Amino acid sequence: MITEKREMHLVEPVLEDQKMRRDWFRLAATASAGAMIFLLTGNTKKLYAQSKEGDLGILTAALYLENEAVAAYQAGAESKLLSPGVLKVAVAFQSDHKYHRDGLSGVLKSFGVEPQGPEKKYDFGSLHSEKDILHLARDREHGAVLAYGTLASNILTKAVLNFGANVLVDEVRHRTVLNAALGIPNY
Amino acid sequence: MSTTNNHPKPVSRRQVLKAGAISAAAGMISSIPATAREARFAGDLAILNVALGLEHQAIAAYDAGAKSKLLSADQLKIAVSFQSDHKRHRDALTGFIKRFGGTPVAPKSSYDFGTITSAADIVKLAQGLEEGAAGAYLANAGNLQNREILNAAVPILEDEVRHNTVFKNLLGMDVTGRLKY
Repeated sequence: MITEKREMHLVEPVLEDQKMRRDWFRLAATASAGAMIFLLTGNTKKLYAQSKEGDLGILTAALYLENEAVAAYQAGAESKLLSPGVLKVAVAFQSDHKYHRDGLSGVLKSFGVEPQGPEKKYDFGSLHSEKDILHLARDREHGAVLAYGTLASNILTKAVLNFGANVLVDEVRHRTVLNAALGIPNY
Repeated sequence: MSTTNNHPKPVSRRQVLKAGAISAAAGMISSIPATAREARFAGDLAILNVALGLEHQAIAAYDAGAKSKLLSADQLKIAVSFQSDHKRHRDALTGFIKRFGGTPVAPKSSYDFGTITSAADIVKLAQGLEEGAAGAYLANAGNLQNREILNAAVPILEDEVRHNTVFKNLLGMDVTGRLKY
């Protein structure tokens, strides 16, 4: 089990993480402000039909992936199969996904939508080795890259798009690191 | 390629972004839109030209690395592959700029990459440029108005992040930190 205390020790710097969390909520506030500008300028149809609904759907889908990724890294950490070095990376990557999850949840709330929580249980198959876990994580990251890469340009709200781009960058970095660990070519 | 006797100084992301911002501003001032289409996407064109400048620089850097004969066979393979990505980016950006009525910026006649005396120098140079490019694309993604251009920019951003992460791994740098700009 990754405890919050352990995570605080392993994922540094803590202050940076707190700063990022503040940025997240600022982003959520910006998204809301952007929506207000659309409303005030009378472009409500565009906001509702093209921006808000579409973006909400994308955000909800993205949140599902983030919840799943957090659970996958949790399963990996709890398996006790990871070496200390790999565990450290897994904890850091899980922390990124929690950050994404919280940010997406914040944006959804700013739109008046209650974000969905994780599934009660995920089936990640049999995990017998560190390699199994690396593959599990790598596949989740790969799926997230494809999802964010495909969806990013469909996001119409600028603040949400900026946030999505930042998340995509994290997912690509994660996948690249995991590819390297698994001997999957990155070029 | 020109070199100096100074110790190589990797281009920082801030420097690249600063240079990009200056070029973007200059581009916007000097290019008075001739058509409505160009006017509408003048901001996009400025961003694309800054990005194109970075792609030209990256291609030249990989050329310098390859010609140095300092890279191992595996490193050279990576460099050739990544340079090929940048050539693809260059061609895509050039195509968009032309389509939208702009003039693609040409590569410089020479680039100062400092003194390169080892494979590590080359990898550090490439890593700095890739991180700068990733930061530039990330910072500007939300400013692009044209969806087709944004669609094309997303996989380019992915490439830059992948390149940067591969080099960070090779250099033993921390890869658990989030990219900041």
